[in-house]
Amino acid sequence: MNLELKVNGEQWVLDVAAADVLLDVLREQVGTKSPKVGCERGDCGSCTILMDGRSVRSCLVLAVEAEGHDIVTVEGISYEGMSQLQDLFISNNSFQCGFCAPGIVLSATELLELNPNPSRHDVQEALAGNLCRCTGYEPIIDAVLAAGQGQGETP
Amino acid sequence: MIAKEFEYRRPTTLAEATQTLAEHPGLAMILAGGTDLVAWLRDDVIAPDLVVDIKDIPDLSEIKVVDDELHIGSLVTFTDLIESETIHEHVPLLAEMSETVASPGIRNRATMVGNICSAVPSCDAGPVLLVYDTTVHLTGPNGDRSVDINDWFTGLRETALTDDEVVTHLTLKLRKHGGVYVKLMRYAGEDLAQAAVGIAAYPDNEYRVAFGAVAPTPIRSARIENTLHGNELDDDLVARTVAMVPDEISPITDMRATAAYRTHMTAVMLKRGLWAARQRLDGTGPAYGARLV
Amino acid sequence: MTTTFPFEADAKEDELKAVGTDAVRIDGLDKISGAAEFVDDIDFGPGLLHAAIVESPHAFARIVSIDTTEAARAKGVVRVVTGKDFPYKFGMYMEDRYIFAQDHVRFVGEQVAGVIARSHREAVQAAKLVEVEYEVLNPILDPKQAFEEDADLIHPELADYTHVPWFFPKADTNIAHWRKIRKGDTEKAFAEADYVLEDTYFVPRYAHCAIEPHVTVSKLDQADRLTVWTASQSPHTQRHLFAQALEPLGFTHKDVRVITPYIGGGFGGKAGVSMEILGAAMATLVKGRPLKLRWTREQEFYNTYQRQGVTAELKVGVMDDGTITAVEHKLYWDAGAYVEYGANVVNAAGLSATGPYRVPNISNDSLCMYTNLPPGGPYRGFGYSEFHFGLESHMDRIAEAIGMDPVEFRRKNAIVEGDELSYGGHMNPSGMIEAIDKVADAIEWGVEEQSDNPNTVMGKGIALFWKAPAMPPNASSASFLKFNEDGSINITVSGMELGQGYLTVMAQIASEILTVPVEKIRVETPDTDRNPYEWQTVASHVTWSSGLAVEKAAVEARAKIFDVIHQVYGYEDDSLYLENEKVKCKTDPVFEKPLSDFVIDGIQTDEGTWRGGPIIASGKFMPEFTNALSDPETGQGGHPNVHYTVGATGVVVEIDKDTGRIWVRKAALAVDAGKAINPDLVKGQIVGGLVQGLATVLYEDMRFDEAGKMMNPNFTDYKIPTAFDIPDEVVPIIVEVPQPDGPFGARGVGEHTMIAAAPVIANAVYDALGVRIKSMPVTQEKVAMAYLEKSTS
Ligand code: FES
Ligand code: FES
Repeated sequence: MNLELKVNGEQWVLDVAAADVLLDVLREQVGTKSPKVGCERGDCGSCTILMDGRSVRSCLVLAVEAEGHDIVTVEGISYEGMSQLQDLFISNNSFQCGFCAPGIVLSATELLELNPNPSRHDVQEALAGNLCRCTGYEPIIDAVLAAGQGQGETP
Repeated sequence: MIAKEFEYRRPTTLAEATQTLAEHPGLAMILAGGTDLVAWLRDDVIAPDLVVDIKDIPDLSEIKVVDDELHIGSLVTFTDLIESETIHEHVPLLAEMSETVASPGIRNRATMVGNICSAVPSCDAGPVLLVYDTTVHLTGPNGDRSVDINDWFTGLRETALTDDEVVTHLTLKLRKHGGVYVKLMRYAGEDLAQAAVGIAAYPDNEYRVAFGAVAPTPIRSARIENTLHGNELDDDLVARTVAMVPDEISPITDMRATAAYRTHMTAVMLKRGLWAARQRLDGTGPAYGARLV
Repeated sequence: MTTTFPFEADAKEDELKAVGTDAVRIDGLDKISGAAEFVDDIDFGPGLLHAAIVESPHAFARIVSIDTTEAARAKGVVRVVTGKDFPYKFGMYMEDRYIFAQDHVRFVGEQVAGVIARSHREAVQAAKLVEVEYEVLNPILDPKQAFEEDADLIHPELADYTHVPWFFPKADTNIAHWRKIRKGDTEKAFAEADYVLEDTYFVPRYAHCAIEPHVTVSKLDQADRLTVWTASQSPHTQRHLFAQALEPLGFTHKDVRVITPYIGGGFGGKAGVSMEILGAAMATLVKGRPLKLRWTREQEFYNTYQRQGVTAELKVGVMDDGTITAVEHKLYWDAGAYVEYGANVVNAAGLSATGPYRVPNISNDSLCMYTNLPPGGPYRGFGYSEFHFGLESHMDRIAEAIGMDPVEFRRKNAIVEGDELSYGGHMNPSGMIEAIDKVADAIEWGVEEQSDNPNTVMGKGIALFWKAPAMPPNASSASFLKFNEDGSINITVSGMELGQGYLTVMAQIASEILTVPVEKIRVETPDTDRNPYEWQTVASHVTWSSGLAVEKAAVEARAKIFDVIHQVYGYEDDSLYLENEKVKCKTDPVFEKPLSDFVIDGIQTDEGTWRGGPIIASGKFMPEFTNALSDPETGQGGHPNVHYTVGATGVVVEIDKDTGRIWVRKAALAVDAGKAINPDLVKGQIVGGLVQGLATVLYEDMRFDEAGKMMNPNFTDYKIPTAFDIPDEVVPIIVEVPQPDGPFGARGVGEHTMIAAAPVIANAVYDALGVRIKSMPVTQEKVAMAYLEKSTS
């Protein structure tokens, strides 16, 4: 079936099956590869995207459900250079393998949008659905906290 | 990737939705937040021919107070509950419970009504809606009807909802109370409940007590409520009610916990929860959202 | 074993510019911007085919028949394959595995057939149509049961399997390898000991849970070149095993190319070869078409290597003054259905099962038992995490029994430089005592803490760890280095950037020697056609081994640079040095020549001709002092391990007496990195490894039903830590007692940080509540129920 999809500000017209999940359509038909396939059942958060500004697991959304909504991935927030949060993630060596990073960048972006000065607990809560096996989260949480307090100006 | 293919409809009215369901008896499933449905489709544990997405039906996303009743639409998500001032003002326990559900990325989509429609034994909304004497409002080809939450859960993953009906909203009678939801999880991060206790303390020592994940459905305990009724809470009373726990629940041993631990912890959570609910009624006690275990 | 390297002459500790700094990761921007490409992200166009695997539902069965007719007829299906198409064995250290099952299946999930289709959905649907008839046999799910004399044989042909010379399989048993260590006289020592403690500890299986599942794309092109893009820690080892296994089809090493872009975590799970060989083999039947095989999360759990379970029978004797006199450690490993890699885990553990202690009398038996569970294999810690649980629990219990402080007891017995190892050789320089003291300090050992919550109590624990890289004695590394016109550098190596920061550290090493800043050095992930050899990125050895190869390449490049300068300007090589990307001369202070002036184009002489040309260099490293040959009955005589990395872990916990919930309030971990080339990245390993280790003790646990089927192959029920499940505070401590033969003194730390996490929690739980949990995991449930029993009895 036909699907009109808005991804990172661009309008797409795609042919999809009702059973196609948004994650697969984004990766295979739109070519945005930053949402990753980690578990396909909502457990890991590596497929996180922003839908109308809110974090959503694209593996649990049928592509057809996304019609009329605004989809943003990490590619979309990186066109015009890194955000302050992304810069802090880099300078803080926050990630290791980086597979979880796109999802975490988006979850943290949502958090800072809703709550510009989060506590450690708020950050943990916002990221609790994004599994990272490498870092032990500490350097990730630190960077989000720093972004929240407006430290580490973008160079 | 979902292997099995199906058809998809997105009706814009309740009538269209129920008619579509009625035309495909037993073969259609309702899609709201999709956090259970899509996962189950992917896991191949359900295989509908038709998925009916109800998100384009207007007015199902409302949270409002009408007279002395709180009205929660069937498309209200857990995030909506957490962010609603109305909820924090009148029934902060719903926000406390919602915060224990999975994580933001799920809560942004998952609906509370979907939670009680999936009706797994550990559903978080179950014990909380039970202690508020909630009414579930449905509509079907033969018109509207309502079901008392106490009659809602009919078995393991089974409810009073029929194939051609859609839940429109829930209503809760608003009364002064102190509530608590205590959820046992394997760790601090997101988890399904190993066991859970919901309690509402009303003035004049009236209580509602419900349990989750310790029986095929969320359950209320009339015996414990009656024992508490009319009596001032003290250590002895708490001890007596806690001693009733093993007879009131029927937990199983599974991967998540043994029956023995579930029983032990239900007692611990009831004890801590009773005091917290009582104190919250008085405006003291731990802030909503504080974890008791 | 001390080797001197040329850099030592002019690199003094306090003059280091790149090594020892917290350089920002060179892959940081890639990963944060979404640019980082993982295998599943590469586009292969409309010709891409997809594979789905038909798996055994039985833990042990004979295949009676396979009917693929219907599957072959299904929509979109291009080809269906079975074991008949590939009757070939493969294996890393022992060839005991077939690509597809032949006549028997030995674990739930074993690959029986494969379907190749135009779309993923079609492949999965058609796979359901393959009909397999089985004759079900009784599975063996426990290593001690497998050890019983009359146990059914899981591999009756064990005697015929080829294997490395340091394995000792026992024909007509389920013992795939028996590593023995015998030293001194344990019987006499136990008889003479003042106190002997004997007990059994149990460790279940664990899953790596890299967030990226295994995925591979393989393509045999029309010119018979097989290219495999794979999420792997081991590109060259994979190429080698593919070429070996598919040799009957006419492949040679040069026909096989393995490309490994960024990888989403490994932890040992993506070492060696597991599902990748299915993709490689199937692709040979659909020439010209790329074929993708991606594991689901469920398959990731039950059909890749798992960390092996172990039943550990431990007996330790001590004198009243606290001196350990004897250790007897019997490790029965649940190694699974195929042990081609896992048997080496068993071997490594057997060699070092005394733990980091000086022990004169030793009797270790490490038994690799076949069982009908999924194949065991490498997992961060490689056997050491497993046996440290019992060992370090035991040490605390002994200290208590003889009335000695556990820290004092460990200080007294800790192995130090020059002490004899269980297999003969001597211990390398190490900062163990410093690590113990710093950790004890960090958690204020000896100071009792009170909780102000009436429901909770506080406890403290400490545990030591050690580990040596486990690898073939001749595992080697190599590197190429080339300058570009602007003086920037490209380095090619074949170690994998698993996230540990390998690429950055290699750049730092080259930067230190060539004075080119890290930002001007590009180090890329491997392609076996273009990058030089590396054995594998495992064993915490690449900083050391590949680091030495890069160091040698950089030193060679520097020599070539000086040589050009010498040719043109006549300065003696030993008067020249590099500073800020320029060549300078000690004897002529005004001379300076920027590298960018000549590293490609050379230097023009007075006559107008040119000297020099592109500066390129290579380096390789192979340990030349190791030897895996030893007496099978005693383990004496060889030199199997290159060196040990040591350290200590301590925690402060708060425990709810009713619920058993354990909060790690503070954790301190000291590891002797020799030299931290990038301290921030070492801290990353400390925090990440510690959290991974804590999870294995607090809640992770693979569960199998009586038929051998894994019950929790998903993150819903196999819990791995979230952002909430970390210690309130981690104190990372880097100890630096240089490794004489390491690059700038460095040795590996990647695995070590998780090794002591399990016993340290068990010890802290005991300290807090007086209950000793001897089987992992030490869940809140076990703690609560044990405490309930203790307080009501
Ligand atoms: S892939 Fe969507 S949550 Fe894991
Ligand atoms: S950095 Fe590897 S999963 Fe997060």
